[in-house]
Amino acid sequence: MKRESLGELEELVLLTVGSLAGQAYAVTILEEIAEQAGRKPDVTAIHSVLRRLEAKGFVTSSMGGATADRGGRRKRFFTLTVAGRKVIDETMLVRMGLYKKLLTILGS
Amino acid sequence: MSSNPPRWADRFLEWYCHPDLLEDLQGDLYEVYQKRRTENGKRAADLTYVWLVIRSLRISAIGKSKRLKNSIFMMTANNFKIAFRVLARDKVNTAINLVGLTIGIACFLLMGLYVKQELSFDQFHSKKDRIYRSWLKEDYGEGKIFFNSITPLRFRDLFEQNFPEVESAAQLVIENHLVGRGEGRLDERIAVLSPNFFQVFDFEIMKGNKEAPFPGLRSIIVSESYARKYFGDEEAMGKTMSLQIGESIEDFTVSAIMADIPHESSIQFDIAISTENNRQLYGQGSMNAWFSIIPENYVLLKEGASVESVDAKMQDVVMGYLSEEVERGQYNIGLQPLTDIHLNPDVPAGYAPVSNPQYVYILGAIGLLVLIIACINYATLSIGQSLRRAREVGMRKVLGAGQSTLVVQYLSESLLLALIAMTVGTVLTILLVPTFNALTGTQIFFTFKWWHLLAYLGVGLAIGVAAGIYPAFVLSGFRIVSILRGGSQGGGRHVARKGMLVFQFLVTVFLISTTLIMRKQVSFMQEKDLGFTYKSVVSVRLQPDPAAQRLTQVIASGMENGKLLKAALQKHPDVTDIGMATHMFGSNGWTQLAYTDDKNVFRRFAFLNVDANYLKSFGIKVKEGRDFEEGNGLDERQSIIINQAAADYFGLENPIGDKLPGKEFGEHRIIGVTDNFNFTSLHSQVEPLVIAENAMPILQGISDFNVEDSPVPKLVFTYTGSNLAEVQDILGKEWEAIFPNEALDFSFVDEKIQQQYENEARLNKLITVATILSIVIAILGLLGLMVLVVNSRIKEIGIRKVMGATPITIFALLSKSFISQLLVAIVLSVPLTLWLISKWLANFAYRTEIGVGLFVVSGMTALLVAALVIVYHTLRASRINPVESLRVE
Repeated sequence: MKRESLGELEELVLLTVGSLAGQAYAVTILEEIAEQAGRKPDVTAIHSVLRRLEAKGFVTSSMGGATADRGGRRKRFFTLTVAGRKVIDETMLVRMGLYKKLLTILGS
Repeated sequence: MSSNPPRWADRFLEWYCHPDLLEDLQGDLYEVYQKRRTENGKRAADLTYVWLVIRSLRISAIGKSKRLKNSIFMMTANNFKIAFRVLARDKVNTAINLVGLTIGIACFLLMGLYVKQELSFDQFHSKKDRIYRSWLKEDYGEGKIFFNSITPLRFRDLFEQNFPEVESAAQLVIENHLVGRGEGRLDERIAVLSPNFFQVFDFEIMKGNKEAPFPGLRSIIVSESYARKYFGDEEAMGKTMSLQIGESIEDFTVSAIMADIPHESSIQFDIAISTENNRQLYGQGSMNAWFSIIPENYVLLKEGASVESVDAKMQDVVMGYLSEEVERGQYNIGLQPLTDIHLNPDVPAGYAPVSNPQYVYILGAIGLLVLIIACINYATLSIGQSLRRAREVGMRKVLGAGQSTLVVQYLSESLLLALIAMTVGTVLTILLVPTFNALTGTQIFFTFKWWHLLAYLGVGLAIGVAAGIYPAFVLSGFRIVSILRGGSQGGGRHVARKGMLVFQFLVTVFLISTTLIMRKQVSFMQEKDLGFTYKSVVSVRLQPDPAAQRLTQVIASGMENGKLLKAALQKHPDVTDIGMATHMFGSNGWTQLAYTDDKNVFRRFAFLNVDANYLKSFGIKVKEGRDFEEGNGLDERQSIIINQAAADYFGLENPIGDKLPGKEFGEHRIIGVTDNFNFTSLHSQVEPLVIAENAMPILQGISDFNVEDSPVPKLVFTYTGSNLAEVQDILGKEWEAIFPNEALDFSFVDEKIQQQYENEARLNKLITVATILSIVIAILGLLGLMVLVVNSRIKEIGIRKVMGATPITIFALLSKSFISQLLVAIVLSVPLTLWLISKWLANFAYRTEIGVGLFVVSGMTALLVAALVIVYHTLRASRINPVESLRVE
């Protein structure tokens, strides 16, 4: 199977979507990333990453509730797809493998 | 708490964004906006929002919005690259288009600068919305109205004391005084200002105290450039200057230096002293006078105060003071907004000339018109090109290009061209401003502000779209089958093309006729027989005794001094016809006297105090009775001469030996009646005029007088020599001998008379410039069209030549359609020109005729221009060897 590659921000967003468990939409993702990773990409960057992930089939989206501070507009919630889950697993495996190797060489 | 981001940004987002993506994207942007707003405030949030909207463009690109694909935003570098190649390929056409558009833009910008400057007068004061100038209108019935924006001195107190709405009232007199440093003294315009002047207006004090610029009675303010004029590079502050005030010469200390007043200000002065000198300048009597007008009075209303509430109380306040002198409604005071002063001809001018707003509109319209012609030119040419590009369109369509793609492509071409033309045109304008000013006598400036860049882009885009939109749709609308089959395109488009050509010529012919008629009117006014001779007449302002206070003393002592100069000048053989008078031709505002006669009719007439020689020196004919006689004691005491208008006005059937109706005049007798001569400008009719050697008998009977132009006597003489520089020499020497300490002030009467029509002459020059430019554009347009026509018919011409056609038949062939269109344009221009020009001519009491010849001349000019272009092409086309043109294919 041909492996889909993930960009760095894509990976971060994908992880965040997973970790937000059904509450993931652009603004919450933005805040989570700001809190966890201390980075502050602007919201349009998150949007374009989400679109790309959706196009690659790693996330799906559905329209959810609206709030007043959105001017009555609905949110688009993102959830991980099976493929998304898989690509995270694969990336993590690769990283863990490499990390373990590093530890054995340097000692812990 | 909820607040909305900028509406336009939202609209923009909604417009370009794919509908599937819009809702959640916009929602997210809103959410971010609200957060940013609570954290950093509205301004920051707005900025962020706009930024995010722009950044969101890339998301839409992913979303494959259908609308975006065809929108203007897809005009990528690629489009421009192709556009550039197209423009570079057809160099002749591009050059023609470029030159046309550039000229149009330059003309538009020049006229625009002029209009902008006229409209920006007095706009730089920060309190401009609260500043008003007072006016005074005395209305005594029967059309006897005195209306002035110069008002009594006491108005300042009147406004400050009676109207709680008034924060402060400022006062300004501008008049000439002799100013000097050391020996020499110059006659300069001096402002007399109330101390609060610089708090009401935003004129900048560079050195000195803005709150109290006049620390003492003898303080003087000078502008930067005058400080340099009088003190050179020395520090002017604290230095003294001498000023003639009333009868004495006083030393004034420079207490403040003011930045030079901007050109766009109605209030203009370079030297100022304080109103504390008023008593000495104008006498105790005028301080409280209600009927003697001296300064312009300005009021500054309090914030939020309404001018209507002040207006409403005026009449009551006035009657509180004047109920014994005037009836209700006779003495009216009003306020005029400061920003209204420069362009409102309904209120009389104060110390600054008022511009005619008509001229601003006319010039603005002409600038726009020339630009429109240039755009139309582009459109006609592009459509004319359609034949050549039809195949290209066909190919593109076959290859799958939709109409919108083609529209975008053609718009890129016109946009690119417009931006180039805009750049060149702007540079050209900047270079042309000094020439333009010198040529037309205007004073416009090109100043750069950052928003000009935006305006520049905006105008460039607008011109590009305006010029390109129609051809873009026409070109892209061609049907593939008919193009590739080689057929011609539908007839409807030719109608549009012809329509545009007609319009273009219409405007050109209109401009030519307008220029001609304006020139005719201006020279009519400059050359009309005014009823007196004034060529080579020199006028010298005489020196009254410094001690002279009353009007009669000023006149008498001035004339007495004048006799010395007269005697001196008589020695020179080239100096003839020496006379003296209180007013000179070429200036308006002659002394106006008024009284109520025994039948209770209010009478008003102009008055001129002369010496016995005066009428003779100007060749003014006395048609009934006789002229004054030199040395006739009776004449010197009591004789008067009136003009025909006065005889009619007073209803005197046999005026000789009669008196002016009304019993209060001193002993006087009418000895002569002159023809009506135009002593003021031809904008107004000849008014009733009374001429006397002795003013006393007449002044005794009048109840009111109004002097706008100084009544200090002037000596006039005719110079018969040929070298005008000599006259200056002679005058200078004689003057120096008689009045060693006084500056000589003389002028040529014919120049003064010409100056009265300066505005019209300037307008005419501006329109001439526009006309020449529009003719150039029209020629370019025709040239371009002819190139295309000739090229498209080159084979036909070739065949005709083979069959034996002469250049003349070819000329007829090529000119047929153009000439008929031109004729239509000429015919259509007649009513338009007639209508607009008669409106303009209504400004003048004496006006020239609009003859048929005018239209013949302007029509012929346009026809000639067109014919020349066609002849040129005929020659070119007929010189091509048929072998060449027929060999192709």
